Amino acid sequence: MSASATMDVREKGGALAAAAAGRFDLLPVYKPEIERAPREQIEAVQLAKLKETVAYAYERVPYYRTKMDEMGVAPADIQTLADVRRLPFTDKAVLRDTFPFGLFAVPLDEIRELHSSSGTTGKPVVVGYTDDDMAMWSECIARLVQMAGVVPGDVAQMAFGYGMFTGGFGLHYGLQRLGCAMIPAGAGNTERHIQMIEDYGTTVLVATPSYAMHICEVGEKMGYDWEASPLRVGLFGGEPCPPGLKAEIERRMHIVCTDNYGLTEVMGPGVSGECLAERYQQHIAEDHFLWEVIDPETGEPVGEGEMGELVLTPLGKQGIPVLRYRTHDLTAVHTEPCACGRTLARMDKVRSRSDDMLIIRGTNVFPSQVEDVLTGIEEVTPHYHIIVETKDGMDFLIVETELRPEAFSDSFETMDALRRKIAEKLKATLLVAPTVRLVEPGGIERAIGKAKHVDDRRAK
Amino acid sequence: MTVSQISVFANSRPGHLSRVLDRFEEAGVSVRGFSASDTGEYGILRFVVDRPEEALEALREDGCACTVTPVLCLKLVDEPGELARVMGVLARCGINVVYSYSMISTYIVLSTTDPDRARALLASEPVELITQEDIARFSAARQGKGIER
Ligand SMILES: [Zn+2]
Repeated sequence: MSASATMDVREKGGALAAAAAGRFDLLPVYKPEIERAPREQIEAVQLAKLKETVAYAYERVPYYRTKMDEMGVAPADIQTLADVRRLPFTDKAVLRDTFPFGLFAVPLDEIRELHSSSGTTGKPVVVGYTDDDMAMWSECIARLVQMAGVVPGDVAQMAFGYGMFTGGFGLHYGLQRLGCAMIPAGAGNTERHIQMIEDYGTTVLVATPSYAMHICEVGEKMGYDWEASPLRVGLFGGEPCPPGLKAEIERRMHIVCTDNYGLTEVMGPGVSGECLAERYQQHIAEDHFLWEVIDPETGEPVGEGEMGELVLTPLGKQGIPVLRYRTHDLTAVHTEPCACGRTLARMDKVRSRSDDMLIIRGTNVFPSQVEDVLTGIEEVTPHYHIIVETKDGMDFLIVETELRPEAFSDSFETMDALRRKIAEKLKATLLVAPTVRLVEPGGIERAIGKAKHVDDRRAK
Repeated sequence: MTVSQISVFANSRPGHLSRVLDRFEEAGVSVRGFSASDTGEYGILRFVVDRPEEALEALREDGCACTVTPVLCLKLVDEPGELARVMGVLARCGINVVYSYSMISTYIVLSTTDPDRARALLASEPVELITQEDIARFSAARQGKGIER
């Protein structure tokens, strides 16, 4: 960052410069009265809304009434936030089993929009939003895009597909709510995206991080000058964003990038969003979501700030009032105020799911650990692919990683030493010795949408 | 005078060599000698070409991992014991030949641990050192008439 860089968030590099200088007063906050409220006040809002939500679910959704009756818990039993633990969990299977409208709390004429999440197996999950739900969702998005320095008047280009996937419309409505002009370009046709950025003066790009990287690379090949481009902000979602990849995109496209967290079953994107003070965490919209972190095996809460499975209860959601949704996402939540001035709790970015975990020779291995190690090795890119194989009853972990062009030398000895160095670093973290394969630059597929990192070839 | 060898990192799979050669053709680069060796998983392709800078630029544009290594090109007399004689010079001085491959007929390429010293040593021996310019000239001559000698 040059000393002369502007701290004006509307200028390229301004938001990052202001954050680097600790000048968070220069960054916008959409709803300071809640985002910077004292914790007692946040918790008071949560408790009031939790009581209403539980009563609403009990009255309107037969599934919850039956479940709560079976467990011997009534809405009046919810007197503190900790009482949420007396309520039943909701798993994705419940939404699937009640497909399509079993959990809906309002008749369809009060629903303004339906969305669905793709089911990898069997039926999809369908969710419905009332007018109030849409307003709440838009507000959550408006808050998180402002954390990245997006302001009214920005021109935002959508590179997510629209359709029933919540990412596209969620960001679209939230950015409009803030006062941005939306360009609903949709997915695909990378060269056209770049042309539109130039033609329409796009300042904000909404994309998956892997697609943003692809746009970056295609632009570079076309000779497009990202430094001179009007593009200023990247809003990422749709897949986890490895820190190394984000840093690389920021450097090569000369933009600031943040990502947000959310899932269709509780709303969609916007449950939490990254601020520029804590780039490995995201502020939860706590007035709209009550969070818990539990041990995925026992269902009991983990200690303050410890890693566990995130459980979410949307507060005041009308279309589908979900109680204690088990996300299967692993995170830890921190409640100390943030340097950005927000008091809303921060969750560590979700790097792994309780069901992503690979058990190799009895050791738990998370793909995110592999990514962390590779990010710290300058000779390779953050792109990777994991293969797990069995040979004679033994599990083998193979990690493919991409060589950076400048790290190549005309010597098998040097290349092999690099391979051994990477394997040793991985072993130190994973506690399992992997085989490392060096792949030529660009040799690891850049997935558009959910990047596939793991190929488990063991017989299930 | 050393010659600029272009080395390319490539995964061992069908087409890896032809991809590079196609790129050279597009860039108007003529290959005068090459070697491909691999570990079964990845390999290093090595080329001696008439226009190394253009070759490198074309590969870098494609995002290839490639580099330039100074190597020696020698023209041997086509007689028994000639190769042994030249290698003997380097061996006696403790210079290791890391790899070697032949170009056209008796033109061979050596990659050594100390290219400058090896060149100086060989310059005082009855062996012809080929320069980058010579290689370009052979190519140019070849375009005009049959095969150069
Ligand atoms: Zn913050």
